[in-house]
Amino acid sequence: MTVASQVKQTLEGLKSVRGTLRIYSAQEQKEEAKTAFNEALEVTGSVICDLEKRVQVLELQEPQYKGN
Amino acid sequence: MQMWIQILLKTASLFFLTLVLVRLMGKRSMARITPFSFVSYIVIAAFAALMSVNIITNLAFGFISMGVWIFLVIALEYLSIKSKWIHDLVNGRETVLIKKGKIMEENLMQSRLTGEELLRELRSKNAFNLADVEFAVMEATGEVNVFLKADKKPVTPHDLGQKVAPAAEPQTVIIDGNVINEALASLSLNREWLELQLKNQGVSLDNVFLGQANSSGELYLDLFDDFIELPKPKVKEMLYANLEKAQAGLAMYSLETEDRNAKAMYSRNAKRLRELMKKLEPYLLR
Repeated sequence: MTVASQVKQTLEGLKSVRGTLRIYSAQEQKEEAKTAFNEALEVTGSVICDLEKRVQVLELQEPQYKGN
Repeated sequence: MQMWIQILLKTASLFFLTLVLVRLMGKRSMARITPFSFVSYIVIAAFAALMSVNIITNLAFGFISMGVWIFLVIALEYLSIKSKWIHDLVNGRETVLIKKGKIMEENLMQSRLTGEELLRELRSKNAFNLADVEFAVMEATGEVNVFLKADKKPVTPHDLGQKVAPAAEPQTVIIDGNVINEALASLSLNREWLELQLKNQGVSLDNVFLGQANSSGELYLDLFDDFIELPKPKVKEMLYANLEKAQAGLAMYSLETEDRNAKAMYSRNAKRLRELMKKLEPYLLR
């Protein structure tokens, strides 16, 4: 497996984490837990952003694996 | 009018009257009332019974007497809410039975409690060892309440310095295959959500005896068919595991990559995820 595809896998994993967090932050009734989930959403969002940029760079470096 | 019809009508109307009156006198558990309230309930019951079988022949007198009794009870209860002095006079005060771990024998005597009975009451509060009890008090209702020594009390998350997720009371959303809309609404969930959850678990609504949803929107079901094993919701644990996986991945890439910028980016984000995991742990794993 190339680096790009590994990073992509992690990226997708994080995206699914973000989705689940979003469900919990919507369902949660307690304000305290809701804030914690919202904070978590922000952090995962910015990590995802960083990783996406990195994936673009990696795809330029390994164009033959683009799309994997 | 024939006698039996008279008694029939009288009994029926007194039945409902007594029902209303007893409801007016407040709702307290029969086991936890003071001796005097117990007497008033008995007296009212006796009035109703005597009137309905014509032992009290003059209905008006009967009602006057019953009315005065009920009025006084309600008035005294009202006054004892307003004044502590009247409250103590009517209901009596609590008696301290054990103080600083020592039994107060004279107070025990005063509340007509033998040593055996005291021990029985302590045992019913799960204090089998007298040495564990710091303080015990007999309430005006006769109930004994126990305060254990600090080192014998059950451990709470607070004692362990452990943070736990706040939880509100769960709501019962399904009883006997019927959806309780009110309970769903109080969690700001709706029927569509419930149907989706049932579908995800592969259960039909008629098969559900009880369904409870907690404040983070997870559904626990008990089915009529006890042979069906439902998977326990593990979504939160999965979420935590996925976060952990992503964090480990990032830490690994930061070691592997040669690019200095990327290295910094990976290790920064790995650190942020680790902090996030720490923060979410009480909400996801406990």
